[in-house]
Amino acid sequence: MSSLETINWINEQFKNTNELVQKNLEYENKHILLFYIKSLINSEMLQKLIIKPFFEMSSEEQFNLYLQALPQFQEVQSKEQVHLEIMNGNILIVIQNEFYLLDFKLAKNDKVNSTSVETTIHGSQLALSDNLMTNINVIRSNYHQASLSVEYFVKGEVNQHKVAVIYDKEKVKNDVLDIIRKRLQKVDKQLITSTTQLGNLINDSRFSLFPQMIMTERPDRIVYNLAGGKVILLVDGNPQSIATPVVFFDFMTTMEDNYHTLFISLFLKILRYAGLFLSLLLPALYVGVTSFTPELFRTELALTVAGSRVGVPFSSFIEVLFMLFFMELLLEASIRLPKAVSATATTVGGLILGTAVTEASLASNIMVIIVSAVAISTFVIPVNEMAFSIRVVRLLLIIITSVFGLAGLVLGFFVLIMYLVNLDSFGETYLKIYTLSKNRKTTEEKT
Amino acid sequence: MPSKKSKTKLFILVIVPLITLLTGCEFMDIDKDVFVSMIGIDKSDEEDKPYKITLKLYVPTSSFKQSPEPQYTYITKSGETLSEAIRILETYSDKELEFGHAKLIVIGEDLLKEHKASEVMDFLLRRPDIQMISWIAAGRPSAEEIIKMVPQGENAAYPALFNYFDDIGNESQYIVTTYLFDFRRRMVEEGIDPILPIIEKNTSHFKINKSLVLVDKKEPHELPTLYTGIFNILSMNIQVADLIIKEEDGEGEAFIAKIDSMNSKHKVIVKNNNNIALEIEVRLTGYIAESKHPLKMKNLSYYNKLLEKVAKEKLTEFFSEMTSVGIDPIGFGIDYKSRTLHNKRMSSEEWKEAYKNAEIKIIIHPKLKSTGAIQ
Repeated sequence: MSSLETINWINEQFKNTNELVQKNLEYENKHILLFYIKSLINSEMLQKLIIKPFFEMSSEEQFNLYLQALPQFQEVQSKEQVHLEIMNGNILIVIQNEFYLLDFKLAKNDKVNSTSVETTIHGSQLALSDNLMTNINVIRSNYHQASLSVEYFVKGEVNQHKVAVIYDKEKVKNDVLDIIRKRLQKVDKQLITSTTQLGNLINDSRFSLFPQMIMTERPDRIVYNLAGGKVILLVDGNPQSIATPVVFFDFMTTMEDNYHTLFISLFLKILRYAGLFLSLLLPALYVGVTSFTPELFRTELALTVAGSRVGVPFSSFIEVLFMLFFMELLLEASIRLPKAVSATATTVGGLILGTAVTEASLASNIMVIIVSAVAISTFVIPVNEMAFSIRVVRLLLIIITSVFGLAGLVLGFFVLIMYLVNLDSFGETYLKIYTLSKNRKTTEEKT
Repeated sequence: MPSKKSKTKLFILVIVPLITLLTGCEFMDIDKDVFVSMIGIDKSDEEDKPYKITLKLYVPTSSFKQSPEPQYTYITKSGETLSEAIRILETYSDKELEFGHAKLIVIGEDLLKEHKASEVMDFLLRRPDIQMISWIAAGRPSAEEIIKMVPQGENAAYPALFNYFDDIGNESQYIVTTYLFDFRRRMVEEGIDPILPIIEKNTSHFKINKSLVLVDKKEPHELPTLYTGIFNILSMNIQVADLIIKEEDGEGEAFIAKIDSMNSKHKVIVKNNNNIALEIEVRLTGYIAESKHPLKMKNLSYYNKLLEKVAKEKLTEFFSEMTSVGIDPIGFGIDYKSRTLHNKRMSSEEWKEAYKNAEIKIIIHPKLKSTGAIQ
């Protein structure tokens, strides 16, 4: 590979951009050639580490050795690598017909965010950043094990994002790792912009109702998952990570469970599971009991429900779907709205709409209570993705209950459990209670 | 070999038409039902329509806070059969009659005297929405009058009569509680007789302290208040009972033993020649609640002896009446049947005879723990 040829090739590759800077430095029989994209590199570092020494050093030989000693130094293997690394914020230096790459990337997105999705009272309040290297730094500084391995892939044909697969070599299940590698290779997408998008692409089940990877932004959860033998995936430019394989019960735990004393965390867990069942079953139960088997109520309650429904023009299931529809709209609206306005939206939607609906007898008072109880208990589910799934499953249960009554509800719930049992996440059964078994033996055999 | 995908398609194709064949219950909104609170069944005056049904219906309100007064409507109809009367009653109401919340069934005393209980029972059992756990009682003078009475201070949506039976409101030792399923069992089973509480009516309140034992082909036998209490002690239906203890000469001790824990066992001892003995063992634990004279802790064993004596007297009285009339609400007949092989068993006539002449053995274990006062 002659240097002139390569330089021409590089110029050819970047001819469509005017950002590539080619700098020719010549001073006292020293001569180097620099290529870089101005907006991607840290010019201060360039000045301090390259340009200043260049003018101070006595010979080209010394400068060459100096460059090789720099921590940012990288050997060049191929032309393609040069192209890619320049795009990643490296500087190409040509000296004595040798090509060196130096990583002078300027990252302005390496600030660690504070937690916003998985907020807790106890524990760290810091989440990940948007920068992949910073994120790996955060993980490594929380998990001091030599067996922690990181594999990099580049995904997305157009935007060429870096993807990191992180795992503890001693604890990870090799089958899982193989599946992930295989599926990552299969990913063929023009743009990869988020971790969860990548998760969907490697899940292999588009129509799954339940998430097969757990999204998290908390470093302590990542570390917890790594120690449990899970594989973490990170995409550059994303403050979220996904962990896999998961079981259903992962979605019902928060990191705070470990930070509380036994009885308190037990109480919170019971509360959470009660919330799960309440948000899943309550609307369907209302339809089933009021319209099919009113014997199930206490007499007073039956009379109150019957009385509160006087004048409501809809059947119970229309009433439920109608109110749930508005609740879902409210939820969606408060996510999309700017933070300053979303409080107003909740007030208008929750309070005013709720009372107005009963005043206009479009829904019974008890319906409003049920819908708000359901809305609140949905928020108790600690992982957002599971809450989304539950919202969808709830609708299916309402539909089957309004056709078949309580028997349909029981049957529908049974089908749900069967579905969960059938589901698997990267080869691990979804409804398994135990975490991954360690397979240190197979790891030793393979390495 | 079909692929997995086409298998799934086939499964959906088969299962969806099958599901549509399944039917649940009928879809009916709760505000289109009218809830029946009590059912009263009486003998009517008309010759060809012997049954008179009275239904007490709840009037639904959206808020009991706004209308705390109980509101009911009543519909009454006579008919040749109960179902016929109910069918006609359905035309009296704009909504579907829902019997699922009928907690109490009152049968008029006249009807019971005519031995119509089993026919009434048949209807009550066959109708699916009448709950087997509803209470059943006898109404005096008639079921209709009992049902139509709303005493002062009754809560909306929870009739006062229910409080007598539900073990939460009233725990008196003189109230017998009979569930429909238990009543049926006692009717069908030989060797145990059905017992019903009698609901009587005063000008402003109910009075439930007697009970009625139904016997085949005989006039129902009424148990007075004391015997109703004893029946409750023996069947362990109640948690607390009072016993009045008095020494005969009038000068001695007179106190009330409050029994807060009781345990009773009964069995039949078969002797030869179809002679039997009824053995009743009762454990009475409690303390003294009221006394005319000061009581001393050191005399507790004496008071226990008094309790044993009085309890024995009263139980003997009770059982001699039971055996002489030939009624068996406690269920000695069942006990006998369960202890003997079928080929060695007496016929039912022989058993009835043996029961009448049975020897009565009563063992009381009194256990008064304190005099109820601190000395």
